[in-house]
Amino acid sequence: MSALPRCSSCRPRLPRPKHGLIRPRCLATEVSSGSVTIPAESTPTVGKVKIYDTIRTSVILNRSPFLTRPLSRFEQAFYAYQQRIQRALHNPFPYEFYFKQGSLLESKFNAEERRRERMAFGAPFGISESQEGSENKSQNAKESVAEALDREEEEKIPRRGEADRTNDVRSLERKGERNLYLLLLKKLDDRQVWRLPEGGLQKGEVLHESAERNLLTECGIRMDTWIVSRNPIGLYRSSTSNQVSPRHIFFYKAHILAGQVRPDGTNVLDYAWLTKEEMEDRLDKEYWLGLKDILSDN
Amino acid sequence: MSLAFSSLPARSIKPSLRICQTSVRYAGRDAPAGDPRKEILRRVLYPSNLRNKSTPTGTWRSDVGRALQHAIPSVQAHETIERAWLLHQRHVRRKREAELQRKFEKMKEAMDELYKLDNHLYIEANRPEDPRARSAKELELVKGLRGSERKAMEARIRGLFPRELRVPTDTPSRLGWNYDWQPIRPTSPS
Repeated sequence: MSALPRCSSCRPRLPRPKHGLIRPRCLATEVSSGSVTIPAESTPTVGKVKIYDTIRTSVILNRSPFLTRPLSRFEQAFYAYQQRIQRALHNPFPYEFYFKQGSLLESKFNAEERRRERMAFGAPFGISESQEGSENKSQNAKESVAEALDREEEEKIPRRGEADRTNDVRSLERKGERNLYLLLLKKLDDRQVWRLPEGGLQKGEVLHESAERNLLTECGIRMDTWIVSRNPIGLYRSSTSNQVSPRHIFFYKAHILAGQVRPDGTNVLDYAWLTKEEMEDRLDKEYWLGLKDILSDN
Repeated sequence: MSLAFSSLPARSIKPSLRICQTSVRYAGRDAPAGDPRKEILRRVLYPSNLRNKSTPTGTWRSDVGRALQHAIPSVQAHETIERAWLLHQRHVRRKREAELQRKFEKMKEAMDELYKLDNHLYIEANRPEDPRARSAKELELVKGLRGSERKAMEARIRGLFPRELRVPTDTPSRLGWNYDWQPIRPTSPS
């Protein structure tokens, strides 16, 4: 800022820490479309024009986990231990109330219960098959029929699917227990960089509205997204040699609920849904350092 | 779950787990043989208190001592496992709290910077979203409530979580991810 006289109502560029209050911005004249070309120092609407150059909004689009977190070996062992204690101490199960005498379901339950007892406590528990005589044979037949029926019903879908095996980074079904974040491969002055979806601020727009608009512009409208709140969750100050003033990029958190990114291919070349560690590999060092504390570790 | 085993050695558990025995024992009869009124009176005045089956509620299983000996290696081992679990929980809790702290610091930094940059944007960012306050938009809705498309479009309420956010499950859904989602466009009123 040169030594031009400034009106007392104009807010200084940086707040002076000695004053308790930061003075409100001067409500100056309307910024017309031609005022962008006017040199910055001459008008009192300095700050307002510059805001639309300095502030940009970016969206951290997150696909939250759809699978439960896998337990560590210690946690699994501890839960199994607690289950054994519970099985030793709990009230005897009133099976006569829940299962009709002589029904198929009862025999299935008895077989499963014997197996569980054997697994929990070991050899003396859980009746072995070579115990009774002829009446056990009919019961065994019933149990085998019940188990055969049961096997047909249960077809569990595996947790690791096609996308995990091929490691397809564009898939939204990869790594179900982790948070995936969207990165776009953009052209930036004949370089290709991986960045989050980003865009500028327009007149009459609030930050979260601009974040949504930029997201849909860069990634297409075939996505069901939800921006969580009006508050930004982080800030990145970029001061590269190209720009005159340092840029402030405000990050907004959003969730993707359905759909997929369909870039138009002009500025955005490619996209990827990555976990936090995978993002670190692709991003520039400075950008990553500004971003890493905002993301979830899981 | 805390077990009061510190005073007892691992072997002599029997006395505290013995099934309680009363002095007078009344059997329960299912089929009333003689006069039903007599049977009803007998059932009411002298209910069955034989506890020879393991089905009645409020009791242990019949071989509880043996089962517990198979479940717990020893008193010391049990206490060690408890302490290890609590320590593990503390690590998990500290890690979670540290992550939240980092995220909060970033949010605070962003809001402080926004305050310095532009007052209007700052006020708008801090405006609380009341999901019930629909007065301005509702008026438009009342006009266009005919089409279900319009209703569906307005289903996403600011200030509330969308119902499409799935709770994590142990196995993935059969349908998988919906890649072919189309936005619902409002049709012009004709």
